[in-house]
Amino acid sequence: MADIKGYNMPDELYYHKDHSWARVEGTKVTVGMNDFFQREAGDIVFVDLPEEEDDVSQGEVCGKIQSRKWIGKLVAPVSGEIVEINEDLEDDTSLINSDPYGKGWILVIEASELDDELEALMQGDALTSFIEEEVRVAEAEKAKAEEK
Amino acid sequence: MTGEWRLFKNIERSVSTAEGLAVDDTLPQSVENHHSPPILNLYTFIPSVIVGKYQDIEAALKLDRCRARGIEYNRRSTGGGTVIMGPEIVALGFGINMDYPGLSGRGMGGVFETIGGVFSKALQRFGFSSHFVTKNDMEVAGKKVAGLSASAETGKSLLFHTSLLVDFDIELMTDIMNTPLIKLYDKGYNCFSQRMTTVRQEVGRNDIRVEEVMDAIRDAFEEAFDIRFREDTPDEWEQEKIRDFIENRYTQKDWIFSHKHPRSRMGIGRLKTKGGLLEIYLSLAGGSIENIVITGDFFSTTEDVNCLEKALKWTSARPEKIEEHLSEVWRDDMIFGLDVPTLTRAILVAKENQVRL
Repeated sequence: MADIKGYNMPDELYYHKDHSWARVEGTKVTVGMNDFFQREAGDIVFVDLPEEEDDVSQGEVCGKIQSRKWIGKLVAPVSGEIVEINEDLEDDTSLINSDPYGKGWILVIEASELDDELEALMQGDALTSFIEEEVRVAEAEKAKAEEK
Repeated sequence: MTGEWRLFKNIERSVSTAEGLAVDDTLPQSVENHHSPPILNLYTFIPSVIVGKYQDIEAALKLDRCRARGIEYNRRSTGGGTVIMGPEIVALGFGINMDYPGLSGRGMGGVFETIGGVFSKALQRFGFSSHFVTKNDMEVAGKKVAGLSASAETGKSLLFHTSLLVDFDIELMTDIMNTPLIKLYDKGYNCFSQRMTTVRQEVGRNDIRVEEVMDAIRDAFEEAFDIRFREDTPDEWEQEKIRDFIENRYTQKDWIFSHKHPRSRMGIGRLKTKGGLLEIYLSLAGGSIENIVITGDFFSTTEDVNCLEKALKWTSARPEKIEEHLSEVWRDDMIFGLDVPTLTRAILVAKENQVRL
């Protein structure tokens, strides 16, 4: 379990730069939003999910997530067919906040081009550098806001 | 000066909801896919009411009253709650790329804050101070004067929507909207004047023109981003997009009455406490608090009560989250004789009493 600047980023997952994560089990890829996203976004109040059997491409927006009055994007970390949606989110979107890598999973993709596409996702040192930079920018913004 | 942006400014006529929202949706598309610099769209709507993307329109509005009064209704593509629009309310659409210098790497919170700062500068020109509060509203002494909402669109582009109140028709609002505030208004309690204000009210002049406010917004953008605007109109590519959004989104019942929204409920909770009677009016959208009004016979200030209400709007309705969000803003003297657990309990009573709208 990796802790990067206080954010929980499990080692075994792959991460997209738009803050979705991918858990690979054979050709099935479970997708959710990472700890940095859920903490920066605050309470998730609505999730607009695609339909099962929809096809998605890596990097494509496949859902929308509302936090307060901002609507953000759920970006598919890999290409393939959506084979399962987390229906529990319909009743409790806060699962994405309370358990982002567990009960807060969002959907499962049957991946079609996994080997090539995993190379475009982040793990290890690349992930550490990415999150450290995101944290640096977020902290600078908070400091600026507190000065005002 | 670092660049030239485009300004669509419409003071000739107020537009339909379909037209205004379609132009706004085209802005981020044009920035991302049509090599346009950032575009600011300033205009007014005909008398109308617009719900947020994920609101339940049939629960949020009294549609029969809207139809009877000729008030258009529609659904926008950005988040947040219901807004009344009309010829005395400045509507603003803004399309920009997240990578634009000054915004790059700032995250959504930083972008909201930047745009909030622009509005604050604009309103300073009328001689009063406003500030951006973290729940995406512009306030003057705790009263809302403008609401901001946003959506991440294609690629790295963003769409901002804002409504800035130059003047406001409270009677219309009470007649067509379903909110906890309306229930209070029906009981003779004018809660709106304590929670909302307008540019004309703050300046104390009824002759402030909408165009003056638009010009102040334009100037504040120029100053904040060190750019100049070029007045422009949508080009052919953009007009095609606008037509497409009008035909395939904003005149379509599937969009306006979209059922991809959480269930809407409303509940009232009363609790006798050491500090007095607490009366809570709660609107819920699925598991989230869409709106809340805290009232009763306790001792507090309008500003403090508004602060507590705002801390809970558009957040999770789970007990631990309610307590967490109240604690973030709570001070011992906010409501005399009350504490966070008691206030949380009163809100949970309202939640227990919820009924489907």
